Amino acid sequence: MNPDPRRARFERLAPTVIDAVRRYLARRTDPATADDVLSETLLICWRRLDEMPEEHLPWAYAVARNCLANAERAHRRRFRLVARISRLDPPPTVVDGPSPPDGDLAGALSRMRPEDAELLRLWAWEDLAPAGIAVVLGITANAASIRLHRARQRLRDELVGKTGPAAGHDRSTEGSRT
Amino acid sequence: MTDDDLRERLRRADPAARLEPASPALVEHLVEEAMSRTHVRRWTLPVAAALVLLAGGTAWATLRPGPAPEPVPFPIVAAAPVPSVQVPAGGQAKCAEAKPESLAERATIAFAGRVDEVDDSTALMEVTRNYRGADVPRIAVNQPGGNPELLLGSGDFEVGKEYLVSAVGADVMICGYSGEAGTPGLRELYEAAF
Repeated sequence: MNPDPRRARFERLAPTVIDAVRRYLARRTDPATADDVLSETLLICWRRLDEMPEEHLPWAYAVARNCLANAERAHRRRFRLVARISRLDPPPTVVDGPSPPDGDLAGALSRMRPEDAELLRLWAWEDLAPAGIAVVLGITANAASIRLHRARQRLRDELVGKTGPAAGHDRSTEGSRT
Repeated sequence: MTDDDLRERLRRADPAARLEPASPALVEHLVEEAMSRTHVRRWTLPVAAALVLLAGGTAWATLRPGPAPEPVPFPIVAAAPVPSVQVPAGGQAKCAEAKPESLAERATIAFAGRVDEVDDSTALMEVTRNYRGADVPRIAVNQPGGNPELLLGSGDFEVGKEYLVSAVGADVMICGYSGEAGTPGLRELYEAAF
């Protein structure tokens, strides 16, 4: 009997997916959650292998991002219950990763909108072009390109100390633009 | 500061920069785990069809009028919103030649599907063509205890293979109406019926 081509494809792609998604998760969550989410991500990749495009890493990142968001939501629910902390649900964005040792950079990223900081991480850490970022975030490539351009400029502004409210932080109006 | 400068500064702060690559053993473990895990609990809404697939002439012989009883249909489980149906009391019908008119008249569910996953008693199928009443992404066919000799074609569900399945209410149609899509004449039967 011929070997299962679906299985063969998964076995061929899995090592690169595992390596990339492990790094993606290590940048954004704790090791235990990363392990769980990696397993879940691989399971979904296996189940939806037929939908996986040729350029598969952004697609796998998008799966991991959703799995991580689900895991973080579950963590938050448990945390709220146990600690009896009353607060609104955090925004449905991927959580911030461990703080970089570059204090100025960490501060600058923390002052940015989470979605802008995530764009920059995907660009610099996952080494994605706007088209790949678009797949991960579920937006158009054009929107990703524009947002990335603006996010880079905001980070520059933050790093050079232009941190005043008028230093390009159009936070109140930018969110709805795609 | 250029884009390259900015990216380089971000990269120096990459928390995963020193992460060791996954060992081959870990990769193998993760791959096997992914391929062996099943999510049948997501598909627990019983639609209650049944699958009994015939294995060519041999099975045909066992199901002809005579002392050999008709196999009991297997319950089928599918994703919502396939309507819930009930298992018929019968299942004792004798096999006659499969005819498109009969398929068209009796079948309430008919689809082509590729097997995504198989576990002990359930084959999760991605619906690749909806002939009738199967407007859902996936349908799971439960075959408790297995009965591979009843499958038309290769004799069992295999991941990656495509099957043609029809059901009357809760029961998958047997006697040559369901089986591996490549079984000679089966696809033609569906095309003629729908």
